[in-house]
Amino acid sequence: MSTAGNKSAPVFGIAAEFSCARDLYHAAEKIRDAGFRKWDVFSPFPIHGMDEAMGMKRSLLGKIVFLGGLTGFFTAVTLEFVPTSFLYPLIVAGKPTNLFTVPAFFPIMFELTILISAFTAVFGMLIMNGLPRLNHALFNWDRFKKVTEDKFFVAIESGDPKFSERSVRDLLESLGGTNVTTIHGD
Amino acid sequence: MSDHHQDSPQTFDYKHVGGRFLGLVATALVAYIAVFVGAGYDPAQFAFSYLFAFTFFLTICMGGLFWILVHHAVDAEWSVVVRRQLENIASLLPVLGLLFVPLVFVAPQLWQWMRPENAHDPLLLEKWPYLTPAFFWGRAAFYFFFFTVAAVWLRANSILQDKDGAPRYTVFNRRITFASLPLFAVCLTFGAIDWLMGLDYHWFSTMWGVYIFAGTALSSLCVLVLLITALRGAGYFRNIISVEHYHIIGKLMFAFTVFWAYIGFSQYMLIWYANIPEETIYFLRRNTESWQILSTALVVGHFFVPFLLLLPNPGKRKPAFLCGVAVWILLMHLLDIYVVVLPALHKAGVALSWMDFACLAAVGCTLAAVFLKRLGDAPLWPLRDPRLPNSIALKN
Repeated sequence: MSTAGNKSAPVFGIAAEFSCARDLYHAAEKIRDAGFRKWDVFSPFPIHGMDEAMGMKRSLLGKIVFLGGLTGFFTAVTLEFVPTSFLYPLIVAGKPTNLFTVPAFFPIMFELTILISAFTAVFGMLIMNGLPRLNHALFNWDRFKKVTEDKFFVAIESGDPKFSERSVRDLLESLGGTNVTTIHGD
Repeated sequence: MSDHHQDSPQTFDYKHVGGRFLGLVATALVAYIAVFVGAGYDPAQFAFSYLFAFTFFLTICMGGLFWILVHHAVDAEWSVVVRRQLENIASLLPVLGLLFVPLVFVAPQLWQWMRPENAHDPLLLEKWPYLTPAFFWGRAAFYFFFFTVAAVWLRANSILQDKDGAPRYTVFNRRITFASLPLFAVCLTFGAIDWLMGLDYHWFSTMWGVYIFAGTALSSLCVLVLLITALRGAGYFRNIISVEHYHIIGKLMFAFTVFWAYIGFSQYMLIWYANIPEETIYFLRRNTESWQILSTALVVGHFFVPFLLLLPNPGKRKPAFLCGVAVWILLMHLLDIYVVVLPALHKAGVALSWMDFACLAAVGCTLAAVFLKRLGDAPLWPLRDPRLPNSIALKN
């Protein structure tokens, strides 16, 4: 029974090592089919089709970004029309405020839509990924450092409703995982 | 790869065309005769109608060449399965070079700077020697020379590779592409300037070339979608082209819809805001009288409608839906070219002529007939391209 981290601390989960992307991919399919929810795979490079193998649904982020874009668009509309059409109407270059002079406002509407969308995308992605964070329980395991070189890992977290140390350990071993290790927190 | 090929024929069988080939040739002939007679009565209307039809099809074929060049330049994988069809579209460019010839006879109708009464216009003298007949026709010859060499050469190498599968053809085509890309940009830009911007030699826009290019890249994608769907419907490309390929083409259609709007608006905005008479004349004419309706329809139909249709993900993965959008965009592209060309003749407002349609039929049927010939000449996709397996196995 190999372990990593502080043994008196609560168990983060159980991790296993794989030597190639294909093994990791097939292991992910089996873990998905076994019905686990809180688990993740780690690899030195992106693996095509891994989302499907893990049974991940389409991210919610796109819809949030759409709302961000709408916010940007309406911010621009308000900031442009309220002052120049109502509070302090101006005629610039012989162009009064009406429907035919609205092109002058388009660049701002466009830019703010893009700006707020981009901000929503970047910061929304960070928040949904739980980033930034300073440390992770998996870093307690020395072998895990190989994840940025040539090794592939799976970790099933103890927070999963189907988690039990024995069955998870057996599952990971049956999938061909090596160095199956119980990871404790700090 | 043999297991992929077994259930889908590699070459086009003319039984799917049947008598329609003769129908195309007959329609083209009738249209040419009608247009020839019409040209005798109203040479100006003929000149503009013909330029309108010619430009519509030229942009589509130039777009085919553009996508081949991009494919080779970035060493693309996904587009291998559709590349032969793009090559077939681009191989119509030499035919368009021949179809350009009628314009030589009506040139002064189109390009007013060629007329003797304008010879002493100071604004024309400022544009010497760019706007001189010798240089003008020399440029046109060069554009078509380049288009022909690039399209025919790339296609020939691609077909040679079908026999022995040698990777050197891929590498060689990449070299041709690196030499061709800058020339393509020059030929498209100056072609657009010479033939379309030149309709009013006082007027100029620095964004003209890229505006025409935006429509070029978009319309050729629409033709590609319709083409591969028709071929799939006839039983070809089974296990070769999947919805993943449609999805990518759909994404590119979306991108170039936005690009067209971005460029179109940028051009409008700069001219409208600066408010210099010799620049605003272009939009004044198109935003007044009945042209206003068509210009507004263009903004809604060429941008907002396809933008909203192509924005959600699922539609791009449905071939039938994507074909509907492609037909719509092609109609809008036709309208776009119409609003570019015809207001230079009908300054008082929209005036449709039967010759607009006859010229479209003449040029379109000619190109369609030649295309059918090209379709059967070579396998439907690059059979032994080194990247073919990866292209077939595409995942988005």
